[in-house]
Amino acid sequence: MLGNYPILTIMVFLPLAGCLLLLPAWRHPAAARPIALGVALLELALTGWLYSSWRGLAVAQTGLPGFFLLEDLPWIEAFGIRYTLGLDGISLLMVMLTAFSFCVALAVSWRAVGKRVGLFLALLLAMESGIMGVFLALDLALFYLFWEVMLIPMFFLIGVWGHGRRIYSTIKFFLFTMAGSLLMLLAIIALHLIYAQQTGIATFALHELLKTRLPAGTQLWLFAAFFLAFAIKFPLFPLHTWLPDAHTDAPTAGSVILAGLLLKTGSYGLIRFGYPLFPEAAQQLTPLFYTLALIGIGYASLVAFAQEDMKRLIAYSSIGHMGYVAIGIAAWQPVALTGSIIQMANHGVTTGALFAMVGMLDERAHTREIASFGGLWGKVPLWSFFFLFFSLASVGLPGLNNFVGEFLVLAGTMKKAPLVAGLAFLGIVLTLIYMVRLVQEVCFQEDRQPLSLVDLDLRELSLLAAVALLVVWMGVHPGPLLDLIHAPVQLLSGGVP
Amino acid sequence: MKLYLALILLLPLLGGLFNALLGRMLPRRLGEAIACGVIWGAFVCAVLVLLQFTGPTKIEYGSWLAAFDLQAPIAIYLDQLSLGLTLMITFVCGLIHLYSVGYMREEPDFARYFALLNIFVFAMLVLVLAGNLPLLYLGWEGVGFCSYALIGFWYREEKNATAGRKAFIVTRVGDTAFGIAIVWMFQISGSVSITQLNAMGSLIPAGIVTALGILLLIGAAGKSAQLPLSVWLPDAMAGPTPVSAQIHAATMVTAGVYLLARMFPLIGGSEAVRAAIALTGGVTAFYAAASACRQRDLKRILAYSTISQIGYMVLGVGVGALTAATFHLLTHAFFKALLFLAAGCVITALHHQQDIFRMGGLKERLPAVYWPFLAGALCLAGFPLTGGFFSKDAILGAVFERGGPLYAGLFALGLLTALLTAFYTFRMLLVVFHGEENLPHPHPDPPREGEGIHSALPSVMTVTLWPLALLGLLGGILNLPSYLGVHGLLDGFLGDMPGLMRPEPLSHGTEMILQLVAATVSLAGLGLARSRYAGSRRAAVLAAEEAGSKLSDFLLNGWRLDDLYRLLFIRPFERIARLCWKGVDEAGIDGALDGLARLTARLGRLPAAWSSGRVATSLFGLAGGVCVLLAYVAWLITG
Repeated sequence: MLGNYPILTIMVFLPLAGCLLLLPAWRHPAAARPIALGVALLELALTGWLYSSWRGLAVAQTGLPGFFLLEDLPWIEAFGIRYTLGLDGISLLMVMLTAFSFCVALAVSWRAVGKRVGLFLALLLAMESGIMGVFLALDLALFYLFWEVMLIPMFFLIGVWGHGRRIYSTIKFFLFTMAGSLLMLLAIIALHLIYAQQTGIATFALHELLKTRLPAGTQLWLFAAFFLAFAIKFPLFPLHTWLPDAHTDAPTAGSVILAGLLLKTGSYGLIRFGYPLFPEAAQQLTPLFYTLALIGIGYASLVAFAQEDMKRLIAYSSIGHMGYVAIGIAAWQPVALTGSIIQMANHGVTTGALFAMVGMLDERAHTREIASFGGLWGKVPLWSFFFLFFSLASVGLPGLNNFVGEFLVLAGTMKKAPLVAGLAFLGIVLTLIYMVRLVQEVCFQEDRQPLSLVDLDLRELSLLAAVALLVVWMGVHPGPLLDLIHAPVQLLSGGVP
Repeated sequence: MKLYLALILLLPLLGGLFNALLGRMLPRRLGEAIACGVIWGAFVCAVLVLLQFTGPTKIEYGSWLAAFDLQAPIAIYLDQLSLGLTLMITFVCGLIHLYSVGYMREEPDFARYFALLNIFVFAMLVLVLAGNLPLLYLGWEGVGFCSYALIGFWYREEKNATAGRKAFIVTRVGDTAFGIAIVWMFQISGSVSITQLNAMGSLIPAGIVTALGILLLIGAAGKSAQLPLSVWLPDAMAGPTPVSAQIHAATMVTAGVYLLARMFPLIGGSEAVRAAIALTGGVTAFYAAASACRQRDLKRILAYSTISQIGYMVLGVGVGALTAATFHLLTHAFFKALLFLAAGCVITALHHQQDIFRMGGLKERLPAVYWPFLAGALCLAGFPLTGGFFSKDAILGAVFERGGPLYAGLFALGLLTALLTAFYTFRMLLVVFHGEENLPHPHPDPPREGEGIHSALPSVMTVTLWPLALLGLLGGILNLPSYLGVHGLLDGFLGDMPGLMRPEPLSHGTEMILQLVAATVSLAGLGLARSRYAGSRRAAVLAAEEAGSKLSDFLLNGWRLDDLYRLLFIRPFERIARLCWKGVDEAGIDGALDGLARLTARLGRLPAAWSSGRVATSLFGLAGGVCVLLAYVAWLITG
């Protein structure tokens, strides 16, 4: 039944269509906000429905192993570009994360954004379409299109609604990501041409291009171009410096999306395209990948410890957490890869929640400087409770979500590179050091400034409680999500069932 | 049985969640009743399990981590060791919960306190009952978090919050080693189940077993405050006293001993590991006992004494005497919880005075505390025929039996430690409870406000001391030496445990001689303390100790380990962190990039017709460059 509707196309374009709905309410924030949230919730409901029926869908064959749904139409026939969207377990997890993160992003900007609300909401929805497309596209040209489309709204979100040095930050963000993605575009075109030369067929379809026979040297160059684009998004050391600036100066919704989704497009790209297309080259670059990821974990944790701004601290912590995702991909081993993919979702949820919470505090105190807080447990106990809770999830306390991903990554990596796994394990001490420092200086001790703050309101409370439940659920009962990505991980990494 | 076991875990968890979520809104009595009720409920379930217990069983409740060959379900492994500890934990924690009702009667934030105390019990029971290592790790980290949150319970004081943080971080250093050991075991054997791993001991290469054993030892050292990770426990005394009794004396700090005992069938195969474990335990026992001799804070004396007593247990595991180590773990849980609770009574009565030099003569004023405290002190000092005497002697006997220069040395060190133990125990007892009531020894500051004795303690605080005192004094019955013609209960109970290495039993003659020696040592320590702190020399000795000396400062500061770590780790860490941020990130990477951007902009301005904005020039430059590259690549490939 599902197969009769272009459900994936609906998923991608529903948010964009939502922008049209916003037009009549352009000058009426009070009306525009519920419309936008309604669209995002509808999208979330759609993904929920897909999730509830994936086992049934998985039985039907789509022609591509592992994919439950496939929508394939010719598009620009002159270049062999097709409109191909496909959904497998990994995409579904990412799509669910996307729909969820946008609901969070809309909810946290309810009160925080006051200027040009209509435009703000429209940009958010447009970005949701772009990110959905990235996670669903199976044609490289289409993927690249979505990849670029999702950047533009973010550029404006930071530039228009940001704080501090927002223009500097947004240009830096844009230049970094453009630099990487243009190189990737080159590589995509090169791959297309090589394949056309070998077979006489002009195509950008992933499953065709996978069959390209590439000489080692060419493969290395092409992979390097993909790798650079994805490494910037990840971000890997030393390509990470756009991230703290972008996060710090972005509006809260922007930070939630950046941490929750944009970083994941990098790791998703490597898993979906980079490694399968260029397996030998990837193998060759693995030591480099490990090294950069390990440096990233240690270095970002150290820098996070020295931070004075809460948001910047959490931004650096993101780099460290993504280091674990990177290690799991580099190991390219079934357990580790499962861990990486789960960790992508986990990190999106917890770090997104932490950014949202810092945003809530910023709205009240108009500062994010750690030194101006202290003793918040006595003043805003609910806020402090949730902040401690998400911090614990972030440091990988077992029973909460992040532990699942980190543990699987490390257990799997141990099979491939014991030394890397051992060193990465040491990183969890560093994570704890900066997080408990943050919690102590903000929530405990004596107040350092006479701030009068109000605790969470019902909207914030219900939002955080929902996220907290998700964190517990993913930590205690990750089985359903692990099942969801089992088949695609097995296909990708050649693991035994 | 499956249901009872589930209830043992679920009751404390639900109690904790109840108090965490609803405790603030409901009447205090209800919260307290639920907090205590769930623990006693768990104890009743544990007794029911004991009645049905026939032998080691594995029970699986559901899946947790499952990805390809990694399978870590929610599974319980119940054997003699885990069942014995479950009974002890639920019983002692039940008493401490009751005591807490009295101790925290004026605390407005009681809901948070009881929630954490309940969740701690849950995590501790998960740790003990877990059937696989990731689940054990869940409990392990869970107790670590509760410890952190309860040490810093009175979070307004920076000292308390910092102590909690220190405990969390230092123990996590050990946890990391433990974690590496888990994934390594998984890598080698493809399993994380405790029973499967223990059964695989002989198949794993010896070198790897040694490495795994050392990693687990580091993990145990973190949790059980053994050298070199012992520094967090004395500071952990910043928490409320019942917390010190429950977490930092009776249960959590013995988790390391439990872990080593649990995995002993695997790691005990390596002689090097056993020697390392024994050495760590023996040296730690001595270091902490020596430090305890010069402490002046009542709770810090007990903290160092805990480190030292756990050292004995670790020593016992090292020589393969698992029964003796478990025996000492149990008796220690009783008498050390007792000492802490009694100390809590003293501290409450004296309005939060913890300095023993400002106490004295409390025997007459607090008889209801003095007698149980004396019982605990006798056990700790290894006074003949108390529980502590038998259990400590069982460990020393096993060390003696091992023979060889290393173990002979450790035996001598153990005896010396026993002497110090008896000495510091009675120093504490005599200084606090004996002597003149009106503080004859000089102290420079004028008495602070609220000083004086408040002898009307809530009865729930003093009543709970008695069951512990009885268990401590009579704990020897659990495992009487065989020369009395009886078979030790614990020996019989633990003896059937699979994979247990049974040390050769001592001959009756040797055992009796060893016990005579131990009794003499204990009495000598008592006599030494008496000669200094009772009678005519007392005043002079106390004055000399207050004045301090180089040696006593060294001991007071726990051999200056904190200073060493500050110098070696904390300061460099802070400096490197700052350097990475300001030096590498901002000046290095960003500096170079901004320079590049400026350069591009300047180049872009050369053809004056171009736009002058930085963004535009950069973008044009970039796009132009890419076009050229694209064309080149296209030409390369098609040509």
